[in-house]
Amino acid sequence: MKVISFDCLATTGMYQANGEEIFVIDGHVHFWDASQENIIHEGGEQFIQCFHDYHTGFTPEEHEWTIDEYRNYDADRMVRDLFENGAVDMAIFQPSYLTDFYDEGFNTIDQNAELADAYPERFINNGRFDPRDGEAGLRDLERQKEEYDIEAVKVYTAEWNGESKGWRLDSEESFEFLEKCSELGIDKVHAHKGPTIRPLNRDAFDVADVDDAATSFPEMDFVVEHVGLPRLDDFCWIAAQEPNVYGGLAVAAPMAANRPRKFGEIMGELLYWLGEDRLLFGSDYALWNPDWLVETVMNAELTDEQKDEYGIELSTDVMKKIMGENAAELYDIDIEEKKKQLETDPITDQFGLDDHYAADAAAD
Amino acid sequence: MSGSSSDRTETERTERGNRDLPPTTPTRAAVRDCLDRVDDPELDRSLVELDYIDRIEIDDGSVEVAFTLPTAWCSPAFAWMMATDARDEIAALPDTESVRIELRDHMHETEITQGVNGGDSFGSVFPDADGDVSEVRATLDDKARFARQYEAIGACLDAGLDPRQIIDLRREELDLTDEDAVIAVGDIHVVVPVEPIVAFLEKARASGHVTDPGDRLFLTPDGEPIPRERFDILRKRMRLASVNMGGQGAVCDALNESRRAKLDRD
Repeated sequence: MKVISFDCLATTGMYQANGEEIFVIDGHVHFWDASQENIIHEGGEQFIQCFHDYHTGFTPEEHEWTIDEYRNYDADRMVRDLFENGAVDMAIFQPSYLTDFYDEGFNTIDQNAELADAYPERFINNGRFDPRDGEAGLRDLERQKEEYDIEAVKVYTAEWNGESKGWRLDSEESFEFLEKCSELGIDKVHAHKGPTIRPLNRDAFDVADVDDAATSFPEMDFVVEHVGLPRLDDFCWIAAQEPNVYGGLAVAAPMAANRPRKFGEIMGELLYWLGEDRLLFGSDYALWNPDWLVETVMNAELTDEQKDEYGIELSTDVMKKIMGENAAELYDIDIEEKKKQLETDPITDQFGLDDHYAADAAAD
Repeated sequence: MSGSSSDRTETERTERGNRDLPPTTPTRAAVRDCLDRVDDPELDRSLVELDYIDRIEIDDGSVEVAFTLPTAWCSPAFAWMMATDARDEIAALPDTESVRIELRDHMHETEITQGVNGGDSFGSVFPDADGDVSEVRATLDDKARFARQYEAIGACLDAGLDPRQIIDLRREELDLTDEDAVIAVGDIHVVVPVEPIVAFLEKARASGHVTDPGDRLFLTPDGEPIPRERFDILRKRMRLASVNMGGQGAVCDALNESRRAKLDRD
């Protein structure tokens, strides 16, 4: 839970300066293993190097990790990074398997379960599917539902799988899996839409397949991770017409650190086209660490020119929604109930966060 | 950017120039100008501005350029376009005898470097790609045209033209000088800053639009005239296209900076 600083409040002018608490749900985290021993394809090494470039490119120098720290961090460190300073109240695992590159997978639902099982009140463990797995994949989806009671899946359409270098969300095979999800009560799909390399001859960042899937499965919600960048324009245009399409802010969020003007423009566009109810904060941990990122995003402001152009402000109300309330709505989390639960959980004990939650109760 | 042959080359050229002999070697400045005309098709900015160029070597008539993209995973289709555009621009210099373009630290560096220098087609180098890059290029050129249109129409609005006048404008009603763009609206002439108009026209041409004097100047993403009732929403979409390119540009800049430091490129 983030207590907004006096300065921030003074600027928004919407609240008294005695602390407005923001319940933070980090909508996109990983518990990954890119250790040398786990890499079985040069793609695995290129992947983690590229991630590390993203990390250093958008992380203040004093918060940078070395590549060795970055390859493989343990559960204790992840818990500290997320919760120790109270930056995050809950987090959602978005698994990325990449088993062609990483022997045991990059971060699978079963790996994430180490943390999700230890701190069930803090983590939501999402599943995944890949339609190229066929019948075995459908069975595994059932297993994930049964074992972890998943209500959402992450899909990575650019994943390599033998000869195949990717798949589309609007393919016949994919629809079969989406039907299965619907049948199992899995009603949220997080689709990674970022830079991909395949298909080779196309605009490899196409978000059009989300459009068809969202239209065909109106009972499900689709969160486009990374807000489609580098296809923000296509994404916003689709999302403006599909009420069940959301934007995940992973990758866009850290631009608040060293490209605040660009961050402002992107937020302006997202709020214009999608509105304040369909945007979810995500750190993409360990790409970026919420222990500094949450505060940076919370304190971000639009320039006067941007405020005029877009007719909006990153007000406390808007930020409360983006940082937690929208994810809570999507995942049926009652924030007030949750706060009471967290007041006495092992994380609160470990980091002495009693005051943090108690203060919040007093403020209510 | 680094390189050792430039000084010698430029001195030679000056000496030859002084003796009124035609130069026989492309200058470093000329090669750089060529590369400055090559854009990253996704970001609509030049390779020079984006700091992708590692090395320019000039040895008499033969020119070698090495470049690195912000990630090893950048689209091979985009990499191919940049490499072939650079090759063709430099080959068109009168003093160029041979050109070699090298893509470095990319997951398809070998295929692209060999294919581009061997004059192969994209489809023959990447048989699992179903088709060539021309369609991707057309899509990206159209996006860039549409994004640049945001500034161009903004300049017209600032100059006092109304939406109706703007959507009706034809190429022949526009007169360009070094400083201004003069637009004829009926009997009156409106002066608009020339830069955004020229930048827009350049991409309009590249995407095969606004080619005849009677053609409409400003168009929808699909290249159709803009209906009055869609002007406002299309204007918002132009802004969005422009923000997308700028936003992605910022991502790539940061990646490039991290990567070049790691690879010790600068």
